Amino acid sequence: MSWISTLTWPQWLLLGAVPLGIILLYFLKLRREPVEVPSTYLWARTVEDLHVNSLLQRLRRNLLLLLQLLAVLLAALALLRPGHRGETSGQGRSVHLLDTSASMLTADVPDDASRFAKAKRLIGERIDLMNDTDQSMLVTFNDRAEVLQSFTSDRRRLRDALARAEVTNRPTDILGALKAADGLANPKRSSEVGDVNDVQVADALNADLLLFSDGGFQPATEFDLGNLTPEYISIGRETVANLAITAFSAERNVEKPSEVQAFATVINYGTSESSSTVSLFVEDSLIDASTVSLEPGEETGVSFTMDSEEAVSLRLVLETKDPFMLDNVAYAGLTPMKTVSVLLITEGNTPLELGLSTEKSAKICIKDVQFPSYLETDEYKQRADAGVDDLIIYDRCSPETMPTTNTFFIGALPPNADAGVAATDGAESVSATGDANVADGVSDGVTADADSKGWRWATPPGPVVLIDLDRTHPLMRYLEVYSLLIFSGRAIEGPPGMSELIDADVGPMLCIAPRDGYQDLVLGFDIISLDEDGLTQANTNWYAERSWPVFVLNVLRYLAGAAEASGAPSYRPGETVRVRVESALEEVQIGRVGTELKKMRPGPSGVVEVVDTESVGNYRVEADGKLADLFAVNLFDPRESDLGALPSVDLGYEAVEAVTGGVESRREYWRILLIGVLIMLAAEWWLYAKRVA
Amino acid sequence: MEFFVTIWRMSTSIPPDETIPAKPAAKSRVGVPLLSPALLGRLERLELVSRKVFRGRLKGERVSRRKGQSVEFADFRNYVPGDDLRLIDWNLYARLDQLFLKLFQEEEDLHFYALIDASESMNFGDPKKLFVAKQLAASLGYVGLCRADRISVAALGPEGRRAPVLRGRASLHKMLAYLDSFGSGHNVSLHDGVRDFAMRNSGSGVVVLLTDMMDKQGYESALRMLVGRQMDVFVMHILSPEEIDPPLRGDRRLIDVEDGDNAEVTINAYVIDQYKETVKNFIASIKSFCSKRSIVYVPVRTDTPVETIVTKYLRERGVVR
Repeated sequence: MSWISTLTWPQWLLLGAVPLGIILLYFLKLRREPVEVPSTYLWARTVEDLHVNSLLQRLRRNLLLLLQLLAVLLAALALLRPGHRGETSGQGRSVHLLDTSASMLTADVPDDASRFAKAKRLIGERIDLMNDTDQSMLVTFNDRAEVLQSFTSDRRRLRDALARAEVTNRPTDILGALKAADGLANPKRSSEVGDVNDVQVADALNADLLLFSDGGFQPATEFDLGNLTPEYISIGRETVANLAITAFSAERNVEKPSEVQAFATVINYGTSESSSTVSLFVEDSLIDASTVSLEPGEETGVSFTMDSEEAVSLRLVLETKDPFMLDNVAYAGLTPMKTVSVLLITEGNTPLELGLSTEKSAKICIKDVQFPSYLETDEYKQRADAGVDDLIIYDRCSPETMPTTNTFFIGALPPNADAGVAATDGAESVSATGDANVADGVSDGVTADADSKGWRWATPPGPVVLIDLDRTHPLMRYLEVYSLLIFSGRAIEGPPGMSELIDADVGPMLCIAPRDGYQDLVLGFDIISLDEDGLTQANTNWYAERSWPVFVLNVLRYLAGAAEASGAPSYRPGETVRVRVESALEEVQIGRVGTELKKMRPGPSGVVEVVDTESVGNYRVEADGKLADLFAVNLFDPRESDLGALPSVDLGYEAVEAVTGGVESRREYWRILLIGVLIMLAAEWWLYAKRVA
Repeated sequence: MEFFVTIWRMSTSIPPDETIPAKPAAKSRVGVPLLSPALLGRLERLELVSRKVFRGRLKGERVSRRKGQSVEFADFRNYVPGDDLRLIDWNLYARLDQLFLKLFQEEEDLHFYALIDASESMNFGDPKKLFVAKQLAASLGYVGLCRADRISVAALGPEGRRAPVLRGRASLHKMLAYLDSFGSGHNVSLHDGVRDFAMRNSGSGVVVLLTDMMDKQGYESALRMLVGRQMDVFVMHILSPEEIDPPLRGDRRLIDVEDGDNAEVTINAYVIDQYKETVKNFIASIKSFCSKRSIVYVPVRTDTPVETIVTKYLRERGVVR
């Protein structure tokens, strides 16, 4: 028989005052109603009879008092929770390690909602079994350990700590929890072991290490248990049916950026064949579905293709019911086209500026327009060297040296470092050099071959008729240019590796060539030109064609890099996510799709650290109402998805066999005592009613 | 008839011009007559019984120990000089030639005493025990008056000293006036009251003690005193139904109306049972005491009509015939 006090000392004192109060009330003079009788002679003799010195008579008279006291006594006994306990802890100290990883969400235990609920119940029972001298601590662990309650014999605090424990979506790493327990059971020396002057900082305390888990963690073999006596209480069944998505990503087709391809891996961790429908949702709209049928242990890949130019949040769902639903859904996102910074150097080019200001272009482009004189400034030089801009457009002008970024030359050629004839002084000098080249080319083809390493004009200016278009190149997508009228243009010759995008009757009219990791695009004719009087003249009608803004957009997307969109990264639950945003932004909003976004302030380097990533899902980063970034949080952990509870785990250097999860439950008697209290009260009332009647 | 009307008027104080019943009641206290005309009529046919033969004072209707002049022969005795020659049986002298005197029973009156316990405890019940006691005393007294007995109806205690000794039917109004004149209030114990009575009345006779016996000093000494005076003692134990089965429940403080004594009792069914048992034992002890001393014990419940008590119970127990 053991007792568990449910009241604190002050409460017990209060309860102790109750019987005293009852007795005092009995001693209090009862206010009796006076009644005149002819004589108290016979009454006195009657009362005298009752006063006979018999214990029974006395007891009979105070039976109500006795019954009341008995009821209080029984209530006090019930509050002491008498009971029979089964086994006792050998060491009187125990460390409860509670697995709070995602796999503990599995609903495969018969009496409880989940493995975690069962583990909590079992720990609760253990706490109830504790003696007053027993000490216990509670440590939860997923991919990190948390000491919810250090060693204490206060069952109330332990129960409170247990109530605070919550299951997470995180993967499992037991080592931290073992170290936490180890630190208390196996005190370390303050310095080297061999140091004779050093003593242990504390006495070693033996303790039972009770591990409540399904065993789904990396074996902690590199660990010395020392004074800890491990006991592994396996939670869950050894075979559990589970289809899991272990990988899911989405990428844009490199050649066709609007095409999105999603790939997923589905594994059957169960012991029987399983099939399911896999559905792909984009922003809660069903896009596609497929069926998978897998043998036990088999895995398969699933792919989907869809068209979307915008940023998208994808959700892949296994339409099947199994005990662990967390891995039946996976999330992926495609980052939006990034905003590009474009520096336009021109004396005035309205069609180009308009092209950069269309609705779609404005979304992805921040343009800065400067006059050619800007090229001489230090600011430009710093800017060009630092590569701040994603694209610099030189309209009828050319810099001395090429900037460390992509460039687009309109009616001008990039400077040739080795040719020595680069157009350094604008259109005029270029024109002159071009004429020379043309003359050379006509007269001596060898010279032309010798200079073929750099950019140069292949023909003098003249009317141009476009004859071919490389439609496979991203820059040329959706373009129709045969109807263009070009008054004056020159064929281009470029460095090795140059691609001809538009061919004219005189030669290549639009070429692109790689340069140290950057790309240079050269257009052989002006959009706007100046006549002899210095008046603005349209050199082509392209700006009036539909293909003009499309071309500008293509330039922004694929030359400036706005379309360098890739699959948004995926993180594990609980992982700290570092999001890089523009440092100029003062505030961004971050949150899971479908929930309220939280405001966060980026750090000095434009990095935002997101720690609230416990839940799986797609997360959005917004700046000024526009989507800035996307990332996804997924479990994607084969250990968590492989739900079978292990029969043994490796803890330290030994394998610990699972013991039955059930603890010999304590037989409590307080209910019987409570019934006794009720019976006493009923008897007391009946007796009172009988006497008064 | 006129006599009764006078008595009734005296006792009820009804104005003379009001309608008078055919046979008026003898006395009333609170509107209820002590003796109703019907009862008076029945009482006239009754006679007090004495189990003993006493010597009276005056000529009466009772056989006396004394030899005297009556029609009932008693004995013969030898003539001694000086005897009344009228008593000599001449027939015997003629036959035996010796002188004998022929003796006859003397008939004298009977002394009847009704002692009423007028303690405060008698002022209880509905009707009050004292009222019932007065009714019974008046009834028995009237029976005695009708038979030319010497009647003394007296309260125990100081009120008893002014009790008139009555004789003859005409004294009924005096008796009723006396009964009407006293109430409860003199808490005299049975012992003191009886001793006072015994010291004032040396003669013997029939004595009826009307009491509730509720005397904390006990009733035994009082009864012994009466028995010791060679009296024929009758005890009429008057109890109200409320005393036999009290309608009290709950936590009560019982106050003795005589001495103000308090008894705190929690009255429940169990206590009531105990009380009834006590009453039963009390009555049984009185009965036993009386039977051992040739005292006739008559229990009287106040809810029983006086007519029934006098004409049935007292007859059965030989108090009247």
